[in-house]
Amino acid sequence: MLRSDQIMATVEMVQKENLDVRTVTMGINLLDCRVGTVKGTCEKVEEKIARCAEKFVVKCDEVSVKYGVPVINKRISVTPAALVGSGFKTNDFVQLAKSLDTAAENVGVDILGGFTAHVEKGMTNSDRAFIGAIPKALALTKRVCASINVGSSHKGINMDAVAMIGNTIKLLAEATADSGGFGAAKFVVFCNQPGDNPFMAGAIHGVEEADVVLNVGVSGPGVIARSLERTINRRGRDNMKLDDIAEEIKQITFRVTRCGELIGRQVSKELGVEFGVVDLSLAPTPKIGDSVGEILQILGVDDVGAPGTTAIVALLNDAVKKGGIFASKAVGGLSGAFVPVMEDAVLAEAVAKGALTIEKLESLTCVCSVGLDMVPIPGDVDAATISAIIADEMAIGMINNKTTAARLIPVPGKKAGEIVNFGGLFGTSPIMEVRNVNKSARFIAWGGRIPAPIHSFKN
Amino acid sequence: MKNKQFVISVMSKDRPGIISDVTTVIYDLGGDLAGLNQSVLGGYFTMILMVEFPEGVTVETLMKTFSAIGTEPAIEAIIKEVDGVYMYDNRVLPGETYVVTAQGGNRKGLVKLLGDFFYARAINVLDLVTARRDELYTMIFQVDLSHIESMNKLRKELVLLAGKENLDVVLQHNDIYMATNEVGLPLDAIIGG
Repeated sequence: MLRSDQIMATVEMVQKENLDVRTVTMGINLLDCRVGTVKGTCEKVEEKIARCAEKFVVKCDEVSVKYGVPVINKRISVTPAALVGSGFKTNDFVQLAKSLDTAAENVGVDILGGFTAHVEKGMTNSDRAFIGAIPKALALTKRVCASINVGSSHKGINMDAVAMIGNTIKLLAEATADSGGFGAAKFVVFCNQPGDNPFMAGAIHGVEEADVVLNVGVSGPGVIARSLERTINRRGRDNMKLDDIAEEIKQITFRVTRCGELIGRQVSKELGVEFGVVDLSLAPTPKIGDSVGEILQILGVDDVGAPGTTAIVALLNDAVKKGGIFASKAVGGLSGAFVPVMEDAVLAEAVAKGALTIEKLESLTCVCSVGLDMVPIPGDVDAATISAIIADEMAIGMINNKTTAARLIPVPGKKAGEIVNFGGLFGTSPIMEVRNVNKSARFIAWGGRIPAPIHSFKN
Repeated sequence: MKNKQFVISVMSKDRPGIISDVTTVIYDLGGDLAGLNQSVLGGYFTMILMVEFPEGVTVETLMKTFSAIGTEPAIEAIIKEVDGVYMYDNRVLPGETYVVTAQGGNRKGLVKLLGDFFYARAINVLDLVTARRDELYTMIFQVDLSHIESMNKLRKELVLLAGKENLDVVLQHNDIYMATNEVGLPLDAIIGG
């Protein structure tokens, strides 16, 4: 029997509140593509991606039409390229990146993640060659995203790698200076990088995964914002407490997650590919009404970054996880609220007002997953300062046994307060001020490792 | 002895005791209730029942017994003998069951408008609920679109209809409602995996 209240609630969610499936990401293992030559390996990589993902986009679109729920991004993640190309020289890795780019283009995918190395404990010569290839590889390709895992709770933080990465980010931004340093927007540094994250730029297909899997990233900031507004209006602000708010977020997240997983499982079924996980992250877009920052404002801070922001993000993140985990058979990836400055119009607005600072974003990392995400900084910030910001971010992840990440974009030739615009989903924002520049070089110069923390006596 | 199947439709101004009255008639005549749907609309109680009776029970017997119910307001009944086995418990929705919701300012002919739209495309309506709140009229049609070759074409036609008639029309797969509202139902069961 039709329940009109339930049906109308779902209509509101899907049609009027920006519900979509933010990404369906096909993870493909490329380790079996390795042959004796660079050219041969690249050919095998292109062949395997073409074989596995030939019908991927078409099937996603068909399922999207069938269910009337948009699937915004169809993407591919692959085995970390540093493993696929182990022993390659720097230019060989660039060739591999070009092949990944070609493969993505051939199957109609706009972004491919997995140009990645895991160096949290140490680096091989091959890893060093890989890191050296990142600026050129990302400058010469359109679709390839890169990431590097420099720390973990079990291994500590590789500060030699962190030092290299500060410089790599500078070179990458300069190599793409004609697009405002856009290359750096395709590169993210991780602590505890998950192997089943469907969201870019940090998506990879972990070595622990099956040959081909499908992971889904659900969205929902707009749905949660509209739902909260409606509930607060209906019940009256004076009649609600924060635990009521948390309950409402759980309820709506349950529905959003079930919807996303339904779409993902249907695509999996039609492709004959194993279903992986649902990533519960709230992923905003620059579109008005699709903002995590807006939820924070609805919950009581006039500007994102004002005192209370961290507490609200903690509440939001936890409620999303509770609702989503109950809804889903398999949860994974990052599963935390994203606060990508350039990709969230309300966050960018808070930067313009001076309400949101890098230090506040860093504090948010303690209660969500990707604290310094899509953060444009002045182009003249030195490499050691960038490395030190990354080290701080990694330390939070390492000590707290959680994923943290940094995506810093030094915009060549621009200073704090000037605007950078990458368009589309990458968004626009004023460049954020970096305080205390040129004061961390002696720390970064140490190199070596920050040892893994003790895993008991957690008080 | 061969049993007989009957469809019984009853209506009455709503009051306590209608279900008791109706089921007493059925019980007294040896009937076995296979399934029923009941609702109350505008203060009127309606119920449709599928019942199996012994061979000797006829439409006339049933009409006479229902007419003899003395409780006021009276119960009106329509009774029809049917062939075949009632499959209530095994009723499975077609795989391509969709829900069309249409909302707009209340006026005459809105349900007919959508009904004609579906009829013109040989679309079977499986269930229908409508409601009026203030001046907003809401219609929810559950429809079988198994034979529709192009969902894109149908969506465009609905968009045209919505624009022309100033309605807010949404077409959504039934699975979406199942997934978001049926907490205990595994998703694999919904998509038939």
